[in-house]
Amino acid sequence: MAEQLSKLAAKTVEVVRERFGEAVLEVVEHRGETTILLPPDKLPAVSRYLRDHPTLHYDSMADLTAVDWLERVPRYDVVYHLLSVQTRAVIRLKTRVGQPEEELPAVPSITGIWPSANWFEREVYDLFGINFTGHPDLRRILMPEDWTSHPLRKDYPLTGIELPEPHWGGQVALNQPLPPGTGRQTIRVLQSRPQTPPRPKPEPGEPAR
Amino acid sequence: MQLEQKKDLPITESVKVDESTRVDTMTINMGPQHPSTHGVLRLILTLEGETVVRAVPDIGYLHTGIEKTAESKSYFQSLVVTDRMDYLAPLSNNLGYSLAVEKLLGVEDDIPAKAIYARVLLVELQRIASHLVWLGTSAIDLGAQSVFLYCFRERELILDIFELVSGVRLMTSYIMPGGLQADLPPGFDEQVQAFIDLFPERLREYHGLLTNNQIWLERTKGIAPISAKDAIALGCTGPVLRGSGVAWDVRKMFPYSGYEQFAFDIPVGSNGDVYDRYLVRMLEMEESLKIVKQALEGMPTGPYQVSDHKIVPPPKWAVSTNMEALIHHFKLYTEGYRPPAGEVYVRIESPKGELGYYLVSDGTARPYRMHVRAPSFGNLEGLPKMVEGQLLSDVIAAIGSIDIVLGEVDR
Repeated sequence: MAEQLSKLAAKTVEVVRERFGEAVLEVVEHRGETTILLPPDKLPAVSRYLRDHPTLHYDSMADLTAVDWLERVPRYDVVYHLLSVQTRAVIRLKTRVGQPEEELPAVPSITGIWPSANWFEREVYDLFGINFTGHPDLRRILMPEDWTSHPLRKDYPLTGIELPEPHWGGQVALNQPLPPGTGRQTIRVLQSRPQTPPRPKPEPGEPAR
Repeated sequence: MQLEQKKDLPITESVKVDESTRVDTMTINMGPQHPSTHGVLRLILTLEGETVVRAVPDIGYLHTGIEKTAESKSYFQSLVVTDRMDYLAPLSNNLGYSLAVEKLLGVEDDIPAKAIYARVLLVELQRIASHLVWLGTSAIDLGAQSVFLYCFRERELILDIFELVSGVRLMTSYIMPGGLQADLPPGFDEQVQAFIDLFPERLREYHGLLTNNQIWLERTKGIAPISAKDAIALGCTGPVLRGSGVAWDVRKMFPYSGYEQFAFDIPVGSNGDVYDRYLVRMLEMEESLKIVKQALEGMPTGPYQVSDHKIVPPPKWAVSTNMEALIHHFKLYTEGYRPPAGEVYVRIESPKGELGYYLVSDGTARPYRMHVRAPSFGNLEGLPKMVEGQLLSDVIAAIGSIDIVLGEVDR
């Protein structure tokens, strides 16, 4: 099984090298899994070639995600796990995007090649802020529509008071002014009510309440 | 031809007048609080009369940031968050995560045989339990109320087994990187054997209630079909893909955790409709029971964890008598282990389909990135294809038949 897998992966690398010689930046093998590193602009062409390849038939895109390497330039890895239902071949394609000061780095969308990429690309857009050019419906998928930031970026706080979404409320430091209409204001109103006067002490002889 | 025209309607526009005919459509909201959506799925349906012309799923109501949480925990601790994704099959999630971490560490060949057999046995019981919940809930959606009660009765027996081995009924975290959390307890064999003896008869009862039931047939036959080509292209996996006639099961195609040692078949449908997906799951329960039987009969003796106490905690008696064991214990619980830098993608066949774990290590004690390819996420992507052109009441049958768990869709 493992030999068969690596044979098919080697074949894939060979045909991609043959067809797109200079585009293959790097081929990494780790724990028996092969990764082909490509420049973003070559990605759709290579994907289409692999899908339509007469013997390999990568007919399914199993998974698509991204990794944020905060210190590195380019900053993001966009990772594609391809799978062939017909030949049981698997390969990982990877591309790197994200120059410094670039708010929304762009990768060409592969939705036209594998329709299953649609939601996966929306998820990466939502959580990493990577723009997939040519995507038919690039909206946020998991976070609310009016969310402004991208939670799976490494510079996004895991917890605490620096959450950059004040309009969602509840995450503002106590000593900071509150944005209007947020949840904590209600709490503060409750706290600022005058305290109930202390209960009068029972007079001697009066029955205890 | 007319259907093509209507698909272009924007979702906000409910009435459109073209040159010759007036097309009235209505856009309604199904969910997120609808009982048949199995959680918090919202569907924006554009209807013409009772026919669905467009369905747009809206997910994210149960987004809990599990992938982000895992980045802040050690590999040892991240196991616990995996239970919470597909909460109807926590052991399958544990297995996928454990296999990924083991591959990252390079210890996948050191896992003792007993752990492998126990894992397979428990995961197959988990598959039966998950399918029982699916059967009960999807039947109750279509009005067959008694099936639900019977299914939960049998599921309880499986949960009792999980409680016996781990002390917990649902979020067991029993399968861990390096083996199992604890040895199989005394009485385990008898309890599993009792279930194996009981279940085939119960399964016949379910078949008797539904498989040839005229009402059930009319609600499921030919409803919400999806072709094999569409199912592959849209990322459907598991029983949804097999219902469409593709013999694709990760247990057979990329055997993991010793599945190549067990004899079992893959049930495959042909029409890709709700009924075929129903039958595939029903037959899968039989096949799972076969595997459980084989695993119980062939259960080897020996250790249940790897011997490397940098990965698994040393036994309690050693911690109180042995200095080295105490250090290992302390190191594991305070810091954890550091797999070498690299990345792995491990796929397993969860009850819902292909569950993939993509783990990236940067050489520290915490996963740099954990991405979960949830089977329900891919299957739900195929839902619009299934329901467009169908009746509104069949949308409920379609949602039931793809067996979504929103906990893993939204993660």
